Amino acid sequence: MNKKLVILIILIVLLVSFPFVLSGFWVRLITNIFMFAVLASALNIISGFTGYAAFGNMVFFGVGAYTVAGLMNKLGFSFISSFIFAGLVSVLLALLLGMLLLRLKGHYFALATLGAAEAIKYIIDNLTDLTGGAQGTTIPSLHGGPFFVNSVFYFLMFALLIVIVAFTWWLSKSRLGYALKAIRANEEAAGVMGIDTTMYKITAWTLSGLFTGLAGAVYAYWFSYIDPPTVFNVMWVVRMFVIILLGGAGTVFGPLIGAFILESLSELIWSQFLNLHLGILGTIIIITVLIIPNGIVSLMKTERGLKGVIENIKKSRTNAL
Amino acid sequence: MLLQAIINGILLGAVYGTIGIGFSLVWGVMNIINLAHGSFIMIGAYLSYTFYIAYGIDPFLSIPIVMLILFLIGYVIQRFLLNLVVRGSIFITLTFTFGLQILIANICLLIWKADFRSINLPYSGVSLSLGGIIIPVIRFGIFIVAVILTILFYLFMKRTKVGLAISATAQNYEGARVVGVDVRNIYSITMGVSAALAGVSGALIIPIMSINPFIGGPLIGKAFVISVLGGLGSTVGALAGGLVLALVETIGTTIIPSSFQNLLGFVVLVLVLVFMPQGLFGKRSYNE
Repeated sequence: MNKKLVILIILIVLLVSFPFVLSGFWVRLITNIFMFAVLASALNIISGFTGYAAFGNMVFFGVGAYTVAGLMNKLGFSFISSFIFAGLVSVLLALLLGMLLLRLKGHYFALATLGAAEAIKYIIDNLTDLTGGAQGTTIPSLHGGPFFVNSVFYFLMFALLIVIVAFTWWLSKSRLGYALKAIRANEEAAGVMGIDTTMYKITAWTLSGLFTGLAGAVYAYWFSYIDPPTVFNVMWVVRMFVIILLGGAGTVFGPLIGAFILESLSELIWSQFLNLHLGILGTIIIITVLIIPNGIVSLMKTERGLKGVIENIKKSRTNAL
Repeated sequence: MLLQAIINGILLGAVYGTIGIGFSLVWGVMNIINLAHGSFIMIGAYLSYTFYIAYGIDPFLSIPIVMLILFLIGYVIQRFLLNLVVRGSIFITLTFTFGLQILIANICLLIWKADFRSINLPYSGVSLSLGGIIIPVIRFGIFIVAVILTILFYLFMKRTKVGLAISATAQNYEGARVVGVDVRNIYSITMGVSAALAGVSGALIIPIMSINPFIGGPLIGKAFVISVLGGLGSTVGALAGGLVLALVETIGTTIIPSSFQNLLGFVVLVLVLVFMPQGLFGKRSYNE
């Protein structure tokens, strides 16, 4: 048995035990980290692996959340069935948007996804009868004591995280994953080599949308109140991008590491410097991009300790003019 | 009614044009979508506001000072920060400029607080009437200033050495370097000019619009639509994009409920991107 597997098993055992030993505050904080790790991993599929800057990816989060709200409120569905439908709706939306927008590249794709996300936000905002409109909508909350509720959402997010990490790990070694990386490296060449780039890109975005939508579904049930400006906030995507950049784009564990660092830092900043938290977050973003644009995972790949890490930081500064 | 809406749209469109010109300048020359452009507009508006409230300087007269300050801000940001990441991937530059945007928003929040600010000029009620059509003097002044600046910018790009160097760098970065263009400096000047134009846009909207530290986001949304509509190629395109967006907005309000207005802008954005990504006046490279 190799060392990595042992570490992984110890980590999982530790994470499973957390809800039973930690207070509610910490359990919720870690659930939040899990959620961001799922969102960033989902974005990683289309952006990290495939190289497409899906700047409107929060659209799936919002649509997943609103699917749960609509089905539970209007049709009396259970959470489990609404959750499944949220996944389906996200997949359909991603297919539709993918066919329309994935013919665009670079900045144009980024802008188009952002535009589509904003448009869908305003549609939901205006469908007041169905969605509650700008006032937002409440979702029947899970009954039970705080320990029960916290644990349920902790394990839901944890399960989602395990599924997406396992999937990303498989992806990094699969034919699909290699095709996506080929598209990132040189889309024309990939096409010439016989890769059906359109099909692969749509597949990647659909998978990304599926997991983002499922995270949104859990979020809606967890917070039991959603409104369009919150769930369709572009800040979600920005955080996902920062997490990916921090951890390492196109890696399996990068989004996890990034989510852990960014979300614990934000929590600390949020509680300590209420007036400055945006500014500090902005500074963190700027410093991250300046110093470690290839992510922490890229720095770890050294055998020579701190000296090697510093050398890697210097080497990774290839973005300067 | 419709004619009035068209006039209003044209008057507003010139300001939207200056927003679009500054934004697409940076996009076209450096291949950066500057998400902090809305924040530059906001700083311009706040500076103009402060000059008026604290020193009683008319917002039209403080424009040169606002432009100078914004030019320096843009120049310094590009020279010491953005130049370090400008050759990075699109994620890098998007994330970086977003970081700048929220940092600037927070600084403005600390200085000017979260309240909505606007200025009420003594002549804000004065308007000209032409055969039933009302033209407020302020909006007319804003239009004139925006048009003059657009012309000046056009001449700057076509007739001055610096302007030509900017175009050359946009068209062929390596080639410009070979013939002795200091690209670092040119990029910084480009960002400075873009920020100065953003500053003017801010100074021009503060008499007709109230602002708060979070206006940067919605403004950048407008900048997207304008520059995509106009295409990346030209000054004329950005001006046309601004006019089209303003007309869609003003005529739109008379036909559809105002809550759908934002939706309209983004639907137009997506449709133009998908079906005519070169925009109305797009060219292959900037200022070709």
